[in-house]
Amino acid sequence: MSGDEYAARPAFEDEAVRADAGDGGRQHPGTGREAAEAAKAAGPPAPDADAGAGTEPTDGRWHVDEADLRAYAQGELAPPRLWSADTHLASCARCREALAAVSDPVALDAGWERLDAELDAPRPGLFESLLVRVGVADHIARLLTATPVLRRSWLGAVAAVLVMTVVAADAVQSAASPSLFLALAPLLPLAGVALSYGPKLDPTYETAVVSPMHGFRLLMIRTVAVLAVGLGLNGLATLALPSYGLRALAWLLPALALTGTGLALTPRLGPVLAPSLVGGAWIGLLVAAQTTTEAGGTLAPFTAAGQGVAGAVAALAVGLLYLLRDRFDASRASFTHFSDGGAA
Amino acid sequence: MTPTVSASGLTLRYGGTVALDDVSLRLTEGVTGLLGPNGAGKTTLLRVLATAVPADRGAFTVLGHDPSTTAGRLDVRRALGYLPQTPGFHQDFSAFAFVDYVAILKELTDRGARHREVRRVLDAVDLSDVRSKRIKRLSGGMRQRVALAAALVGDPGFLVLDEPTVGLDPEQRMRFRELIAQAGEGRTVLLSTHQTEDVAMLCHRVIVMARGGVRFEGTPAELTARAAGRVWSSTERDPGARAGWRTGTGSFRNVGDPPEGADLLDPTLEDGYLLTLDGEPAEVAA
Repeated sequence: MSGDEYAARPAFEDEAVRADAGDGGRQHPGTGREAAEAAKAAGPPAPDADAGAGTEPTDGRWHVDEADLRAYAQGELAPPRLWSADTHLASCARCREALAAVSDPVALDAGWERLDAELDAPRPGLFESLLVRVGVADHIARLLTATPVLRRSWLGAVAAVLVMTVVAADAVQSAASPSLFLALAPLLPLAGVALSYGPKLDPTYETAVVSPMHGFRLLMIRTVAVLAVGLGLNGLATLALPSYGLRALAWLLPALALTGTGLALTPRLGPVLAPSLVGGAWIGLLVAAQTTTEAGGTLAPFTAAGQGVAGAVAALAVGLLYLLRDRFDASRASFTHFSDGGAA
Repeated sequence: MTPTVSASGLTLRYGGTVALDDVSLRLTEGVTGLLGPNGAGKTTLLRVLATAVPADRGAFTVLGHDPSTTAGRLDVRRALGYLPQTPGFHQDFSAFAFVDYVAILKELTDRGARHREVRRVLDAVDLSDVRSKRIKRLSGGMRQRVALAAALVGDPGFLVLDEPTVGLDPEQRMRFRELIAQAGEGRTVLLSTHQTEDVAMLCHRVIVMARGGVRFEGTPAELTARAAGRVWSSTERDPGARAGWRTGTGSFRNVGDPPEGADLLDPTLEDGYLLTLDGEPAEVAA
C-alpha cells in the first residue's frame, strides 16, 4: 500500500495498516489506470468454480471473485470472506468497479456504509478469529471469547494438572487402570463448566441476566465450548497413556455424568454449591470404592457396570437439564441473588 | 403524561430483611431521579424493574409489557438498557468489543448492523477515539461511559442507571449529566443517585426511598418546597435544628423547625430531601 493512499484516506489509516498485516498482504491496490485496464482484460467473469479463493486475473493479483462480490453487494457474504473482501475493497479500485457493476445502487450505498463501520471495528483477537475460521458464527465466537474459563491461565492450569497426573500414572504402572488420572479427569470439565457461569465468576453476569438472550442458551453455548476444550485436553492426556488401552478412556462417561448433574442441580442449589456437591460426591464414591476394592483391582466406577451407570446418569441429567431450562432465566433462590443483594 | 413504567405493591425480602416494602410508582418519559440513603432499597428496586430479580409480590409493566410471563419478560428485556451499580467488564476486551458483546446479548446478530450500532453509541458517549483500547487501560470515567454505551446499545426505551456518577470527578460528572439528559429525550430513564445536585439539575421527577418504601414522589421543585420556611441562618448553632453547620461566611445554616423571627433562607433540594428523611434511621445495616 503506497504512502499516497494513506494520505488520501487518513481516516482509515490505522485500520488499513492492521488489515494489511492481518491479511498477509494479499491485496494489492491498483492505480486507477491499472484497474481500468485490468477490468477490461478480465472480461466477463467466469462462473464461480472455486468460491472464496479469489480470482487470479491476467494482472497476476488476487481479487475478490464475482460470486463473492455479488454476495457482498447483497450483504450476504459471511466472515471470514467478508473481512477479506472488506479489506481488499478498501484498497482496490478494480474490485470496487466490479462491485458497482454487480450491485444495485441502493444496496451499494448500504455496502459502503457497512464497509465504513467495518473499518472502524477493531480486529478480533487470535482465539476469536480462529473460531470464526473454523466455522463458528462471529457473534457466537464473541460470546465464547467472553467465557471466563476459556482463558490461557485456566487452560494452562488444566494442562499442568493433566500432565502431572499422566506422569504420576506412568510412574506407578502397577494398577490395572490409571486410577488417579481417571478420578481427576472427570472433575476438570465439571469445574470448567461451573466456572464459566454465575454471578461471582462472570463479571458481566448481571448484564447477561437482563439481556433478551435466553440464559440457558448462553449457558449451553459456553458449556459446549468448555466441554469440547476440557474433553479434548483429557483426550490428549489419554493418548499419553497408551499402555492402558481403552481403559484409560473410562473418565469420559463419568465426566459427562458429573457435568450434566452439576448443571441440572444449579437452578436449585446455585452455581457454586451444585458443582461442589457433585464433585464431593464423586470423590466420596471413589474413596468408598477404593476401600472395597482389593489392591490392583479396577475401581467400581471404571468397570463395565460402573460405566453403564455413569452413562445412565449422564442421560438422565441431560433430560432433567432440558426440563429445567427456563429456571436458568431469572430463577429464584440463591441463583440470582447477588452477594450485596440486600444492601441497597 | 401517560406512565411508561408503572409498579404496584412490589415487595421483596432477602432472608429477614425487607428490601422492598409495598413499592408503587409511575414513571413517565424523561429522567426520574431515585434518592435514598444506603440500604433504602434503591438498587433492589432497579434490579426488580430490570428483571434481574423477581419480586415476591406485586406487579409492574414496562412500556406496556408485563414481565410476569416469559414472553412479556423478553419484551421488557428487549426494551431495556441497564447500567448496574458495579458494572463488570471483560478487562481484556476493547471498548468496542465489549459493547459489541453486549449488543450480541441484546440479539443484534447481524454483524454489519451491530457494528454500526456499536459505533453510534460509542460516538454518543464520546469514546470513538479509544474504541480499540483495552478496558483495563481506560480511566474510571471512561469505563463508566463504556458501561453507559452498553446500556444504550439497541436504543432501549427504558434506561435503568444505578449510581452512574459514583467516583467521577466534577468535570466527568458534568459530562455524564449531559449524556443522561440526552438519553432522557424520548426515553424513560430511572437514575439512582446519592447526588442531590444530579437530581436538581436533570430530573423532571424524583422519588425518595427509605427502608424499602417510597417516602416521596413528585417534582424536584415539590421536594425543594418541603423545606420552604424550614431553613434559616443564625450566628450560633441552633440546638433546635435537625441539622446545622457553619458555612463559609461564618454564619450557621440550619434545617428543621425555625424559631420565631428566624432569618429564613431559600431551601435547596437537598434540604427537602433531608427533611423528608427526618425520623428515618440514618443508615440501615446491610
